[in-house]
Amino acid sequence: MATKAEPTTELAGQPATEEHVVIFRLADEYYALDIQTVQEIVRMQTITSIPGSDLWVEGITNLRGRVVPVIDLRKRCGVDAGEYSTETRIVVVSSANGMVGLIVDAVSEVMRIPGEQVEPPSSIVSVPENTYLRGIAKLDERLVSLMDLEGVLPAALEDDLAYAASRAA
Amino acid sequence: MASTKGQRLQFDLDDDDLKLFCEEADEQIELLDTSLVQLEGEPDPDLVQQIFRAAHTLKGSSATIGHKKMASLTHAMETVLDAVRQGRRRPTSDVVDALLAGLDALRVLADEVVTCIDSGIETARLEADLHAVLESHDEIEEAAPAEASGVAYRLDPEQVEAALAGMANGTSLYFLEIAIAAECQLPSIRSFQALQEIDALGQVLATWPERDQVEAGAGEFSLACFLLSSQSEEQLQAAIQAVTDVQDVHTRSVAQEDVDQPLAPASQPVAASAGAPGRPQLMLVEDGAPADAARGPSRKATQSVRIDVERLDGLMNLVGELVIDRTRLQQIREQLSAVLKDANLTELTENFEETTSHLARVTDELQEQIMRSRMLPVRSVLTRLPRLVRDVAAKCGKKVELVTAGEETELDRSVIEEISDPLVHILRNAVDHGIETPEERRAAGKPETGLVTVTAWNQETYIYLSVKDDGKGIDTATLRRKVAEKGLMSREAAESASEEQAIQWIFLPGLSTAKQISDVSGRGVGMDIVRTNIERLNGQITLHSTPGRGSEVIIQLPLTLATTKALMVVANATVYAIPLVSVTEALADHEADIHTINGRKTLRLRQRLLPMIDLARALGDGRPRQMEAGRFVVAARHGERQVAFMVDRLLGEQDVVVKSLGDLVGNRKGLTGATILGDGTLGLIVDTASLVSEQAALATPA
Repeated sequence: MATKAEPTTELAGQPATEEHVVIFRLADEYYALDIQTVQEIVRMQTITSIPGSDLWVEGITNLRGRVVPVIDLRKRCGVDAGEYSTETRIVVVSSANGMVGLIVDAVSEVMRIPGEQVEPPSSIVSVPENTYLRGIAKLDERLVSLMDLEGVLPAALEDDLAYAASRAA
Repeated sequence: MASTKGQRLQFDLDDDDLKLFCEEADEQIELLDTSLVQLEGEPDPDLVQQIFRAAHTLKGSSATIGHKKMASLTHAMETVLDAVRQGRRRPTSDVVDALLAGLDALRVLADEVVTCIDSGIETARLEADLHAVLESHDEIEEAAPAEASGVAYRLDPEQVEAALAGMANGTSLYFLEIAIAAECQLPSIRSFQALQEIDALGQVLATWPERDQVEAGAGEFSLACFLLSSQSEEQLQAAIQAVTDVQDVHTRSVAQEDVDQPLAPASQPVAASAGAPGRPQLMLVEDGAPADAARGPSRKATQSVRIDVERLDGLMNLVGELVIDRTRLQQIREQLSAVLKDANLTELTENFEETTSHLARVTDELQEQIMRSRMLPVRSVLTRLPRLVRDVAAKCGKKVELVTAGEETELDRSVIEEISDPLVHILRNAVDHGIETPEERRAAGKPETGLVTVTAWNQETYIYLSVKDDGKGIDTATLRRKVAEKGLMSREAAESASEEQAIQWIFLPGLSTAKQISDVSGRGVGMDIVRTNIERLNGQITLHSTPGRGSEVIIQLPLTLATTKALMVVANATVYAIPLVSVTEALADHEADIHTINGRKTLRLRQRLLPMIDLARALGDGRPRQMEAGRFVVAARHGERQVAFMVDRLLGEQDVVVKSLGDLVGNRKGLTGATILGDGTLGLIVDTASLVSEQAALATPA
């Protein structure tokens, strides 16, 4: 499924009707991804690391016959990386560059967040290199950061894309 | 006329028709492409007919969909071809040039049907050219009517021998032409009867149409044959005239010294009554095969269906999955039997083993079959070459003859798509740089016409393509100078390198040996790109050259790109697949002859010194070592360069299905992709080409 232009960065803070998201945990922080981009959620499985790749690219894994690159979101988001546990999951998302697996500490729930509960990130935090937060939702006791998928993925090696595609079997 | 370029066009066809139209147009254009070049000089009536028919078909189909430009251009081409066919115009090079120019335009016009956008191509001038060649020579030289009209009867050498033997035994050789009455309803049966009658009169050496065709009921209104008989001409006449509907029998006695000469048909009734207008007249059949081919698929009658390539690709992927599952099952089987041996379950384990090994066999078979179904004869690539050679040779003022062999060799369609460009490039080089000018060749005591041979063949699971020329060979003196001039090597190193080594420099990036850059080849982006492309396909390219005698380039490619045979190894706890095509040897390091030279570990193998490289480290694996390095050594080559990779363990050979690493990971140095292993985890496929050349270069002191 192609990534639809669902609520993106520009819409942050706008009284969008509703956000339908998957909420997950990285250490003790909560994040959310648009449910449209999530393909499936699998248990932690063997990941083959690729020598010489970026620190937070954990490697590649076999998802029912497909080779899927996996990113450790904790390393990407600068959250303390602990050991993997029985709760650790790989959230498989469909990005502009194909399927990608995101390692998270736990997947907590799927929910709808009313638009008025979402605020633009700048009003609360101002991280200069923030490329992936598109809003913060205040839910009861906790804060959930809404993540922009394309922003969280590494700026893909643009130059190599055509080449990599030509290699694809 | 104002340019109409870019305007939208509309044609009278729906999607299904479009597919049909494209398939047909491609087929006919391809046919024209191959055969027009052969037309020049040698007007084989069979070929002329075939070409005429192709043009005619194109005219019909383009008119049907309302493509006026295309219909009108094909009409002009058809008119010229008709004149050639009827012997009114010889297919000299200006005729062929005009037709080829038309053909190029046809391609563009056929594409318009798909794009529906006016390419702005101008056909009026091409049509005028075609008319002009027709006007320029309206007559045919009278001198050689038999050759010119394209109809000649001739015995092949074997038959000539038989004829001479018969004549030595006192029989005479006759040439008979039999005409069947035009009103006859069943000319094929009458031809057959006449042939039977002739058989009774003596020994028939050759017939036109061929005996097989006559016997199969494909005879027509005329029949010609060479007959060895002891009877007189009158007796023959009388006997054959007795067959119903035989209108005329023309006999000629052939003298011994004329046995191997071609004969022209008698001018009267035979030709006059020969079949319907527009049909091929009697054909000169050389060895049966071309005639069969000309008659088209109806005769070959192999059963086939057209399958969408995507569907085949899908099947191939599924089989790839199946292969992985098979390997996996076998591993589970081994584990299970180890566990179950203790429990008293022998029968169950045996059953299980039987089933898994059967599944393995079936999977192998299935994989093989599907791979075969994706195979195409390499012909489709080779057929484009004569035209190319003709054009290139004309541009550089050379005379070149191209001979191709092994057109039937089959390879995967994905390989075919990829091989075309490199092959064309090599061939251009051979003609442009390899073959000398006619003057140079004469001076060197060679025939003026250079010979380029393209041969394809299979060996084990590889296909080989060789491009060989009898030109001047590679000019190593120039290469040595160039290499030094461009700073790729020191002058001393360039001078002291062996001939063998120097020849290989042709593959160095940024090197062109042509004295002048021509528009045909040689912009310094030549052979290195070719080599890169071949290696991307897991292939190898090698070059041999003898000064003054010519060069030969040999390309070795796997039969398919979907799976690759690889040696599986473990290095620092990661499984790697090293494509087998590059592996020359694998050995345990205690058996290896290892030396330390200048502080570097070096393997001595068959009189060569190979730098030893830690595979994991070379790929950039910075993790702590999980195991003692260098327990095994794998020697790999890339062109002439060799290195020895140090790995921890050898896992054996395996067919691996190549998968892309994905866009996100992108193009990793030294890796071409990943493959799924028997246990469901992933292994990495090593790009030996880049790794070997990089490491070999590092190891060579500059």
